[in-house]
Amino acid sequence: MNEEHRKILEMLKEGKISVADAEKLLAAVGGPGTEAPAAPGGKPGWKYLRVLVEPGPGSESQDKVNIRVPMKLIRAGLKFAALIPQAAQGKVNVALKEKGLNVDLMKISPQDLEDLVANLNDMTVEVDGKDKVRIFCE
Amino acid sequence: MFPIWMRFKIRPEGKRGVSLWFPVILIWIILWALMLVLLPFMLLAAVLTWRRGPGLILLAVYPMLFSVLWNLSGLHVETRDAENDVLISFR
Repeated sequence: MNEEHRKILEMLKEGKISVADAEKLLAAVGGPGTEAPAAPGGKPGWKYLRVLVEPGPGSESQDKVNIRVPMKLIRAGLKFAALIPQAAQGKVNVALKEKGLNVDLMKISPQDLEDLVANLNDMTVEVDGKDKVRIFCE
Repeated sequence: MFPIWMRFKIRPEGKRGVSLWFPVILIWIILWALMLVLLPFMLLAAVLTWRRGPGLILLAVYPMLFSVLWNLSGLHVETRDAENDVLISFR
């Protein structure tokens, strides 16, 4: 329990706030029940990575994308990427750089993925005020 | 577990389209049979190229491919644009 949770509970105990207010405050500071159930390892037990693309208010097109990828598949895919020969790895990185992604895929470890997912709660990106891209785990 | 069914759906705008449940497990059976036949050659190639590097990679292909296919279940890709609705889902 962190300091914010303790203060809210103390305010509730002293009668300064109601139970309903305490619930709202706990939810606002990320209280119990707002996170995914923890896996045995202590990490959130996310099963799927979801990517939703929806047309925004300023979008002319009505294109929609709904992708659900099992997290285990991503982990397995990362391991599979290690099989890419050294000569091809350079080409992949150059191609990614040309697309504006200055990332070395071979340096992404399963631990990096775990850290990324652990911190990825619910992210919404608006592309040029047109499409809304929502990335989250469930 | 391995996905048993693959659902494929394509529906052009204003038309009825096609929805297909494909028993993808048939592909896995054929794939495993093929990989089993190739296994001795893969092992031989792995031993011959062990010192230069690729040998270890060749040995890792089987378990990694198994891992990817095993976790394919639950993959769901759905896109919709002005012309088509396309859905690919593994179950």
